[in-house]
Amino acid sequence: MTSPKRLSQELASSLVRRLKERDERALEELYDVLAPWVLGVAYRILQDEDEAEEVVADVFVQVWRHVDQHDTRRGPLVPWVLSIARNRALDMLRRRRRWWRKGERLKQAQASEPMKAEGEGEVAHESSVPGWPVHREVHAALAELPEEQRRVVTLSYFEGLSHREIAQRTNQPLGTVKTRLRMAHQKLAERLRHLKDWLA
Amino acid sequence: MTDWLGMVATPRTPRPELKGRVLERARTRRRRWPLAVAALLVVGAGGAAWWAKRTIDQLTVERARLATRATALEDTVSTFIHGGGTELLQIPVSTGGRVGSVTIFADSVGHRWLVRCDGLAPNARDQTYQLWFITETGMMTAALMPMDQDRPMVMALEMPGGNVRVMGAAMSIEPRAGSASPSGPVVFHRML
Repeated sequence: MTSPKRLSQELASSLVRRLKERDERALEELYDVLAPWVLGVAYRILQDEDEAEEVVADVFVQVWRHVDQHDTRRGPLVPWVLSIARNRALDMLRRRRRWWRKGERLKQAQASEPMKAEGEGEVAHESSVPGWPVHREVHAALAELPEEQRRVVTLSYFEGLSHREIAQRTNQPLGTVKTRLRMAHQKLAERLRHLKDWLA
Repeated sequence: MTDWLGMVATPRTPRPELKGRVLERARTRRRRWPLAVAALLVVGAGGAAWWAKRTIDQLTVERARLATRATALEDTVSTFIHGGGTELLQIPVSTGGRVGSVTIFADSVGHRWLVRCDGLAPNARDQTYQLWFITETGMMTAALMPMDQDRPMVMALEMPGGNVRVMGAAMSIEPRAGSASPSGPVVFHRML
């Protein structure tokens, strides 16, 4: 496995500092590196290219305007940006009341594109984007989870379902869902502990 | 650590024009005036809502008042018209060169009169029609009926109390404030 390129603490701090200083070049750099991933998250949730691009625009504008809210001591920059993307995409999903339709599309998409690995289809084409090694690591960590844990994580993260909604969707007791999520998070945390940040 | 889960999604290449759009939006300083406009709109809407509610409340009260009054009037008229002791007097009159009429429903049981005037000429500014009860002891004022507009007038009157016997009715044109006894031109004079 190729080791992901890391973003040193100094470099991450420098990028954040430049953003805070309103250095537009820093925003461009961040966009060049992260836009494909932000779009990937948004598209995965929304299954709609136009809506996903709208989310991308919202995310980077929010990062630009609210970078002061990011504390490098509390976490890396990339997960912070991705969490904004996720939240925005889920908001859009809920706001437009296309929940069920998106759910159906998501199921179809997942059925036709189940956990692709590097070298398959468009993934091979995208493998040149920065951050790809991290993608592989996170992908592998998720793939290593038992199916039932992976499913609850996916429902929680990409569909934004509450524990109760996941229990209804999977026909499992609420306690079981909570246990599976807790165990999955523990395993992911252990597996991805070494990740700090990355940049090409 | 689930924050990294976003990296599971397959990356997608944004359309080239998206970058320009994002940077342009980021460069655009957020304008505060839309907030101010929104606040003004909210305040305006609130004021309008308050005014509308106040007006509706006032109109509701007025409607209730008029409905009560109409019901009372209807009741009064019905009592006059259908009462067993009601006597009807229809008196043709001529005022200001025009012909009209005064109709009196005299309710001897309820000791009330209902008077309706039609076709009376409007009064001069300093004058009024004054209706009189004709009693055994003389003329007693019944009502002042200033006519500023050319339209019918209806009014209910209580007849004099005590042992005063009303024998007829009369109407004259008097100064605006009314007179203690008839002094102006007589419009009609009719005994019951």
